[in-house]
Formats: sequence, structure tokens, C-alpha cells
Amino acid sequence: MDVESTPIPKITPRNEKVAIIGAGPAGLTAAYFLALEGFPVTIFEALPVGGGMLRVGIPDYRLPPSVLEKEIRSITRLGVDIRYNTAMGRDITIDTLMADGFESVYLAVGAHASMKLNIPGEDTDGVITGVRFLRETALYKRKTVNGHVVIVGGGDVAIDAARSAVRMGADKVSIIYRRTRTEMPASDEEIEDALEEGVQIDFLMAPVEVVAENSKVTGLKCLRMELGQPDESGRRRPVPIPGSEFVTPCDIIIPAIGQRVNPAFLEGSDGVELTKWNTIIADPISCETSRKGVFAGGDAQSGPWIAIGAVAAGRQAAESIRRHINGEDLKAGRDPIEEPQKDFNTIPKNIEQLPREHMDRIPMQNRLSGFTEVEKGFTEEQACREASKCLNCMVCCECYECVKACGADALTIDTHLEKPAVENLDVGAIVLAPGFSPYDPSGLDFYGFDTLPNVVTSMQYERMLSASGPFGGHLVRPSDHQEPKKIGWIQCVGSRDQNNCKNSYCSSVCCMYAIKEAVISKEHAGDDLECAIFFMDMRTPGKEFEQFYENAKTKHGIRFERSRIHTIEPTAGGNELSVRYVTEDGRMLNELFDIMVLSVGLETPPELVDLANRLDIDLTPGNFAKTESFNPVATSREGIFVCGAFQGPKDIPQSVIDASAAAAAAGEMLASARGTMCKTKKTPPETNVIGDRPRIGVFVCKCGSNIAGVVDVPSVRDYAATLPHVEYATDNMYTCSQDTQDIMTQIIQEQNLNRVVVAACTPKTHEPLFQETLINAGLNKYLFEMTNIRNQNSWVHKNNPELATQKAKDLVRMAVAKVALMEPLEESELSVNQTAMVIGGGISGLAAARSLADQGYETHLIERDSQLGGQALNLYHTAQGDDIQRNLSQLINSVEKNDIVKIHLNTKLTNVEGFVGNFKSTLTSGDNTLELEHGIAVIATGAAPYTPSEYSYGKSPDILTAIELDKKLIADDPMLNKLDSALFIQCVGSREPERMYCSRVCCTHSIENALELKKRNPDMNVYILYRDIRTYGEKEYLYRKAREQGVIFIRYSLDNKPVVVAKDEKISVTVTDHVLGRPMELTVDLVTLATAIVPYGDEQLANFFKVPMNENGFFIEKHAKLGPSEFATDGTFLCGMAHYPKPIDESIAQAKAAASRAVTLLARKTIFSSGTIAEVDPGKCAACGVCVSVCPYSAPTFNEEGRFAGKAGINPVLCKGCGLCVASCRSGAIHLKGFDTDQIFSQIFEINEAV
Amino acid sequence: MAENEPKIISFLCNWCSYGAADLAGVSRMEYPSNIRVIRIPCTGRMSPKFILAGLNQGADAVWVSG
Repeated sequence: MDVESTPIPKITPRNEKVAIIGAGPAGLTAAYFLALEGFPVTIFEALPVGGGMLRVGIPDYRLPPSVLEKEIRSITRLGVDIRYNTAMGRDITIDTLMADGFESVYLAVGAHASMKLNIPGEDTDGVITGVRFLRETALYKRKTVNGHVVIVGGGDVAIDAARSAVRMGADKVSIIYRRTRTEMPASDEEIEDALEEGVQIDFLMAPVEVVAENSKVTGLKCLRMELGQPDESGRRRPVPIPGSEFVTPCDIIIPAIGQRVNPAFLEGSDGVELTKWNTIIADPISCETSRKGVFAGGDAQSGPWIAIGAVAAGRQAAESIRRHINGEDLKAGRDPIEEPQKDFNTIPKNIEQLPREHMDRIPMQNRLSGFTEVEKGFTEEQACREASKCLNCMVCCECYECVKACGADALTIDTHLEKPAVENLDVGAIVLAPGFSPYDPSGLDFYGFDTLPNVVTSMQYERMLSASGPFGGHLVRPSDHQEPKKIGWIQCVGSRDQNNCKNSYCSSVCCMYAIKEAVISKEHAGDDLECAIFFMDMRTPGKEFEQFYENAKTKHGIRFERSRIHTIEPTAGGNELSVRYVTEDGRMLNELFDIMVLSVGLETPPELVDLANRLDIDLTPGNFAKTESFNPVATSREGIFVCGAFQGPKDIPQSVIDASAAAAAAGEMLASARGTMCKTKKTPPETNVIGDRPRIGVFVCKCGSNIAGVVDVPSVRDYAATLPHVEYATDNMYTCSQDTQDIMTQIIQEQNLNRVVVAACTPKTHEPLFQETLINAGLNKYLFEMTNIRNQNSWVHKNNPELATQKAKDLVRMAVAKVALMEPLEESELSVNQTAMVIGGGISGLAAARSLADQGYETHLIERDSQLGGQALNLYHTAQGDDIQRNLSQLINSVEKNDIVKIHLNTKLTNVEGFVGNFKSTLTSGDNTLELEHGIAVIATGAAPYTPSEYSYGKSPDILTAIELDKKLIADDPMLNKLDSALFIQCVGSREPERMYCSRVCCTHSIENALELKKRNPDMNVYILYRDIRTYGEKEYLYRKAREQGVIFIRYSLDNKPVVVAKDEKISVTVTDHVLGRPMELTVDLVTLATAIVPYGDEQLANFFKVPMNENGFFIEKHAKLGPSEFATDGTFLCGMAHYPKPIDESIAQAKAAASRAVTLLARKTIFSSGTIAEVDPGKCAACGVCVSVCPYSAPTFNEEGRFAGKAGINPVLCKGCGLCVASCRSGAIHLKGFDTDQIFSQIFEINEAV
Repeated sequence: MAENEPKIISFLCNWCSYGAADLAGVSRMEYPSNIRVIRIPCTGRMSPKFILAGLNQGADAVWVSG
């Protein structure tokens, strides 16, 4: 491309003149950008040529003048005037320029003076500085040199001078340098070129005196040097060797030891300050000097530096001068230009090393005899090869290909240029939800993660299973893409490990995800696939997790090996992995696997530790945000809350619970500000279309190329225009983009449309968006139909464009037929009673009630017992060591003192009527009943301890349940101090066939009490008989502490339980030890049974609120992962052990979460039902009652009064619009609005047109 | 469609099968284009009349999924 033939952009001329001093790279660049802004620019140049050092410093064989002159012409053609032979300080001053009407002056005079050697005889004829020598050569004032030329220095100028001297006919050219080749600042390539051309370089020599005869140079007296200690620059300092003087005979001496700024340009100009090195002082951002309106840049300001630095400085100066003339802030939004690149993309390991491309050069005889450019440039092939070596390590190279690719114009040059900015926000509370990093197993060479392609992390394996993952969801071995026959998982990689990493906690989620991955793998690959999980303890303490584990073993045939794998080794073939391990019964096995998955733990990345330090919040030993049992989402700093894995390693349901809890905690603090910063949306009044003939608009979406790449969108659009009632049809690039929405609104109004069809993606995600557009256009949002020509057409028929286009036409025709029959629908508005009811006065109920009240809502707390506190009244300490009784009484106290909490003790719920926002409950206390109206209900009814019939419970006062031991600890029972031995049995009633769930808290509870007993009597023998120790998260530290303190852990299996016999004063326990494999008898003073937590299974309560329970009797939440603290039934919420067994911190978090979810309803004051609901035509209703009996939501009832008493009526608030009653109605009396029978028929009838 | 290509009308529940059909697209699966989908709020909405009407209108098969 020829730079002179590029088009000149449109320039709006301005009057303000700018003077630039110096036509070097800085001055020319500034001139170019100022000229583009329209300013008349004059450059004053002392030399007879332009280009500055590029022209008179860099020899022609490196940069031919013709190339440079072309570049300069590309700037002068914009109207830039260059006045040559005009030196500032001699011909002009800043003042004369200002007097001539220049608004601003840019000083870019360069550094064209030389440093002196400061040795005797430096002024002798035959001594010429490097800069001057190069300048005179470039200006053709000096064409030949004769004799021996000696150059002093080791930089680029020295090399340039030497190579120029060679070309000008010198007999001998040598460089003397006081250090060695390693320290030479000149570039290696230049040095090589000089040596090739016959230049001699003498190292470790320094000049001391010019030797002359008849005032002409005859030689240079030098000293030999040796290298001493490094100086400040890190290079070793040359030290003279005494007495080593000698004379090198020579004819010309060229000192090239550095450049400096000649301050003569400031002669006659005031107000511009210089540094002690004579460089100009200028602001690093604005480039402005100490004199207003005068700017400086390039070598004159920075000192000698590279040309591109001067170009950058010139561009910045142009921006400053523009702002100066416009009277704008010089610095706003600007950064210094020398910003080092940060955040490089990681360079992948094992990159193939390729040599650099080398340019072809002209023959040596041409090099030695003239100034022709030496390097001939890359060929196209070479350039492509060299470019293809780019590792793309810079985050962005500003190629703007992304801007071209973004069809939606969301990414423009302007938005691309946006930079990080600092914004200050005034907030009342902060919620931290920054998550975790998966542990990186790269360092663990014994697992071969770095070297073996078939060893993957669990996170990578998740991607491998995903349909959008690297193998398109097809399960294959990464090394050769063959289907695997055998996959193994190694648990606790980066967790419960103090040797290979610092993560001594349990990551809580890995056991469950490994089982899940194994089950999904089996589902993908079928029964031929073998899956084995290698683990230490199987930890599945979550809701429904134990059953999942059991099913994995029994139904899916997944193998569980309790063994730690030491090493994964490659096999000879390279694809299989050899794994050696010891089985539980002591056999050493070698097994081959196709893929090994490392179940990596969760950890807090270092940047989050930094964040915590900046926010001044405390962290736990595992680097998680420190919280307290009774304040589980509050950090150590008031007003800062935390949720998710930054609070501790946890799974999705617990993270979602925490998230809602953190929102509630912030809401409690900020309750008075609720609703104060809201905006009300304005919508136009709804147009009445009833009785109007349909006027349908059809919008066909291209979705970029997602639809248009397969479906012939214009032909679908044209076809739509031919359909009955269609008044308008168009296509859009992205129908969902904001600008298209605005255009649609306009079209609906201009074309007077009263029905709309959008043929695009799926209504499941986009219907609400388009309905909003209808509302904005003044149409009822139900006068709309969306048809799916992407997910269910272009994406699944991409190899059949013709059939896909035909199908799109059919779908549009069906949608048009249906929408013509749509009528405006009403959504009933319903007020929400602002009172809350919480059922259960335990920890969860108390915490929920307090949160609701603190957020400003009157709350009724119902407790069946005579006192508040629930099970927590019997508990001693939390896992974090907090005193439960003290904290509980504070909680009870705060609830009792709260004016808007009404406490109902000894009270039962005997009836519930109504629905979301308008419940009416009957409370019975003895003979008294109370009708309570409330908008929401929180179920926090808790659970009870299992009463064991096993392990001789009841046969000795020294066989206790866990809660009975806690009671003794609370009471400080003296018997505790008489014990010499104690034993705990885990899983009493839990993880049994009739109760296939883990009670979650018992392992931690027993370990905690074991430690408590050890504290009282360190010599006591304490045993814990367990099946798996489930101290998840940082509770693991307690387990480690217990082992350190000598608590003896003995594992038993479900089919070989311990046998407990009470004998006189002592109790005998016989257990089969898993290490010895033999039964052994332990005689102890006390046995504690870690009993299961059993739900109440309150059917009546479930029926009152129409909420479901699982087979164990725990209530079933709306969604196991995403809706853990609410029910599917609107207006009802769930927390605490009624949901699942859990420790106090998790109960309180869920209580707050339930309150938070409830407040999302209460805060709205009114809610709207859906418009697509069933409605009874009472004239046709036969009052058969089928609809009343089939509806799962109890929406239909018989009208009790009025004209249609006895006929069925449907409560629009309760109706979910499923249509079950419509299909079951024998009289055809029920209509489902939006999916009515005639509408569905209309779609069916259009089928027969389908080809 | 060619003569031996069946014409299939399907009624998909909005909450499960219709979502699954979307997911098939997201996953870039491929299947024959012989099917025309009618979205219904729940298979509880299905009436035998819809099936009969579909067959009457020339469908070779009716698929109800939910």
C-alpha cells in the first residue's frame, strides 16, 4: 500500500495556528494529528531536511531517505508547512511566534549534541563526534574517510558510525569499548553486522588522551580495564589496570558515548524550565512545559530514546494542544503513555520453538561500497510465517476485527476504547460473593497432570461431559478421542491435605460431584463403562445425597474404593494410565484406566485474600471469610456480608441460601431506606382492540447468522405478508436488541397493528421481552404469539436449509392463525397482606421472625411448646466453639423485646385458608382460638432426635444419646469428671435402609464432645466408632485436632455393627476393627449414641399449605438447588431442620434466606396473577365437580353465592394455567385463556397446508 | 417433503419437552424436519380431540410429550 495514495479524511478547517519546533518523529506526529483536527500547522526545522534523527542519525543503509521522505509527504499533503533552515534561538523565539499569532508551540528539537570524552586533546583536528559524523554523512557533506578510524563507545551510534566509515572507504575501522561484549548496549544484530563488515571491536579499553602531531590526530592513548563489582545499572564496572597505557595509532577518532540536548534553542525564550541534564521539564500526562500553551516531547523532553517513543509523545502532545486551544481540561481521562502492559495472556506450555525468519541481504561487496539498504525485507511467505508465530500474549492488539464481526453494533470503536474507570458509590452495605478457584494440581507430579493428557481435573471433566464442551458432549479419551472403557476418580486432590498444599479443610462438594460425574458418564456411555471412585471418607451429608450415593453403588454399579492412590503412571502404548493402590483388605493392585479425574478442591485465590485485606475483614485459617455461628453471613466488619464459597467451601443450595441470607442481613440494616430510590415506569394507556379486525404484524428474526445462515429469512418474511390479516411483515438482524424494540414500538403504532407475531428464538426466554414491547406500544401483552424458528428449526436442521425454510413458513402460518384469535387478557391485581407468620419457635423460627421484623414487617411467631428455643435448648457448643445457651437467650431476648413480633406459645395451627398474600389461619391455644390474617408463612417446625432401640439404649444410665450428653455438659454433671473412658457410636438410626439419609451434624458433634471430654481429662480413652467421618468444610480441623489429641477412630460397616452390652459398672463394646479385621472388645465408662435427626412428618401442616414432603418426612423445597428456602406454593417458605438436618449456622442462614424470599413478596404490596388462566363459562357448567377434584392447586371451587351459586368458579390467583381442568371438563365450559381450544385447533388446521 | 416422509404433529409441554426441544437446539443436535410443534401449557391441557384433529388434517403421527 502506498501511504500517499490513502484517502484524506474530511477535515474541518480551524483558524488557530500551531507552531512546532523540529521536524523529527515527535514534531511530525504532532503535526499530523493536529492537521487532522483542522489546525494550520507550521513546523520550523533547523536542518535543511525533515525527519530529525531518522534522517541524520540513522544511516541510509538502515533507513533509505526515499522511504522517509514519502512518509513526510503524507503529512505535508494535509497542509502542514515545514520551514527548513529555521532554528529556534537563532531565527525565532517563542515570543516572536506568539506575536505572529501562533496559539501554541510544541518543542520537539531532539537531542542532537554529543557528550564529550573529557580527555586532553579532544579538540584536535581529526576528532569528530558520532552524532556530527552521522549528520554530515547523511547530508552528504562528508563522502569519504581515509586511514584508520577509531570509534569510542558501545551503543548504536558507535556501530552506525563504524559501519558508515567502512562504506566511506576507511582503511581500518575499530571500536574501543571499556567493558565486554555482554555489556554492550548496541543490539546484537547490529554488532554481528558490523563484525561481518570487517569492523574490529576492542573490549576492555578506555581512551585517556588524544595523541597529535602538528595539530592532527596520530593516535589514541588507551588504558586496559578489567571488570569489577556491578554498578547501579547492574553491569560490572570497568576498573583501570594501573600502568597498562598504550597508544593505538589512528587518523580519525569518533567519540560516540552519548547524546544530549543543546539548550541553545531557548536563547531569547523565557519561562521554559530545563532539568540539570538540559532536558525540558514537562507534565508526564499533558506534556505542558512550565510555560502555559508551550508543550514539549521527544528526545528534547525524555532524553535520547527510541523513535516510536517520540511518535507516541507527539500524538499525546497533539491531544493536549487541541484541548488547550478548545479550553478543555488537559488531563481529564488520560494516563501517562509509558504504561507497562499488564495481564498478559498465559503462554501455553510445550510450545514448539521455531527460529526467526531472516531477511535477505544485499551482497557483501555492495554493502562495503555504498549506502544501499542492507536488508531486502520479508517475502510474503516469510512475513506470514513470522506472523503465525505470534503467541497472542497481549490481551488485545487493537485489530478491531471484533468490531467488524459484531453485527449488532454493540461493540464499536468507541466502546472498544473504553477503559477501566474508578467510580465512587455511596452504599449502606456490601455483599461479597466472589466465589472460589478450583485447586490447580499442576505441581503434583505423581499424578502426572502436566504430562499425561488423560489425567484431567474434575472441572475439565465437567466440560468434557457438556454438550457445548470440547468434544461436543461425546465422552472420549483426550489423547486419541477413543471411547473410554474405564474411568477413575481420585478424591481429596487439594483438600484435606497439608503435605502437598495448605488446604487442610474438606472442600465439601467433591464427593457428591464425583458421584454425579460417574453417574452421568454411565448414562452417556452405557453399561460397558466402568467407573471407580477412590476416596478416604465418602461425604454425602446433603439432602437426598445419601440416597444418590446408594443408587450409584447399587443401581449404576459404580465402584467405591477406600484407598489413596499414590501415583498415576503412563503405559507403553501411551493412552492408558496405570494406577497402583492397596485395597481395604491389604492387597496391592495394579489397574489400568483410560481417564483419571482429579477431584480438585475449592480454594480462595490470592486476589481474594488481597480483597479481604483491602476491606479489612478477617479470614479463617483456610482463607475463607470469617463468620460466627449465630451470624453466618456477617463478616468481621459491620455492614459487609458474605455468601457462597468465599464463606467456606460449599455447594449450590447452600450458596443460594447464603445469598438470600446476605440480602436479608443487608435488608435488615437498610430497612428504612426500602423503596426510597425506586423509579416508576411509565407505560402508555392500553388501546382497546376488542371487536377490531385483526391487523397482524410479523417480525422475522435473523439472529445474526443463527437463523439467517440456514433459513431464507426474506422469503419467510415475504410469505408472511401474504397470510390472512397480516398487515405488515419485516425481518430484523436481532429482533431482541434494544433499538429493534424501539422500532417495533414505532411500527406497531404507525401501522395501527393489534396483533404481533415474532418468529425468532424460544418464547421460554424471550416472550416476556416482546410482551414488554407490546405494553410500550399500548397493546395488551397477550395479543402476541412467538414461534420458534431457531432452537427448534435452524439449529437442528442446519444441513437442510430448504426444509428449514419451509418449516419456518409453516410455523409462522400457524402462529398467525393463532394470534388472530387472541384477545386481550386481564391480570388480576391482588393486595399482599403485610403480616408474616412463622411456624416454629426454635433457632430457625426465631431467626426468621427477627429478620422479618427487622425488615419492618409485623410477624407472628407460633410455638407449640411453652417456651422458645426448640432443640437448641439442649445443645452445648457449636462447631466453632460458641456457647449455644448464651447466644440462644440473646436471640430469644431480642425477639421478645421486638414490638412487631407477636409470640404465640402453647399454640397450634388448626386451620389455614386462602392463598399467597391473603392467608387466614386459625391458631388454637387451649380453648382459645384466634383468626390471623397474613400474607406469607414460614415453616420452621424443626425435627426431633431419634430414640434408639439399638445398642442397649435404656439399659444403663451410662448409655446416652448425643443430646443427653450435651445436657450433662450444660449442667456440668459431676459424673463427667469421673470418667476414665468414653465411646461414641456414629450413624445411630442414620444411613440405614429405613432412613437413607445422613443427619449431617453428628460426626462434628461427637468429635466436638470427644474433645470436650479430653479437655476435662486428657488421659481419658475416647473412641469414636464411625462409618465415614463427615466433618465437611473447615470442620475438618476438629477431626484433625481429635486425632492429634489421641481420640481413637475405629471404622465399622453397616453389616457388622458394634455390639453394646451393659455390664455392672462398665459397658462392653465389641467392634471389628477395619485395620486388624478382627473383633475386639472395649470396656468403657460411657457410651454416647449419635442419634439420627428425625422430621415430624406433619401431614396436616403439609395439607394446610399444600406443600409436599419426601419419603422421610422432610418438606420438599421449590427447587433443590435454586429454590432451597421456599415452596412451589406461592407465599410459603421453608427453613431449618424441617427442610433437612443442619447445624445452627446453616439453620440461621436458611431462616434469613426464607425471610429474604418472603420480603420479595411483602415489599411489592400488590401482585399480579398471570393472564393465561382458566375461566368457567357458568352457563355451560354442569357442576359435575371434576375440575374441583383434578386441580392440583385447588383453584376451582363451587361458587357459594350469587347468580351462579353451585357452579364451578376458578380463583385466578391460584390457577397456574395448566389446562388440566379444561381438558377434563365434559361440558366444554372451561376455557384456557391464551391456549383456548379454538386457538390450538387453528394451529392444527394449518398443518394440512404443510408440504 | 417427499412422499415417504411422514408428517408429524407434536404437542409439547411448555415446562419440560418444549424446553428439551430448545436444549436440543442449543446442543446443536440434528433431527429430521418432519415435525411441527404446538406448545401447550401442560400435557394436562391435551384433549383427545386435538389428536383426532391432527390425524384428520393429514398428520401421519401425533406425538404428545410432557
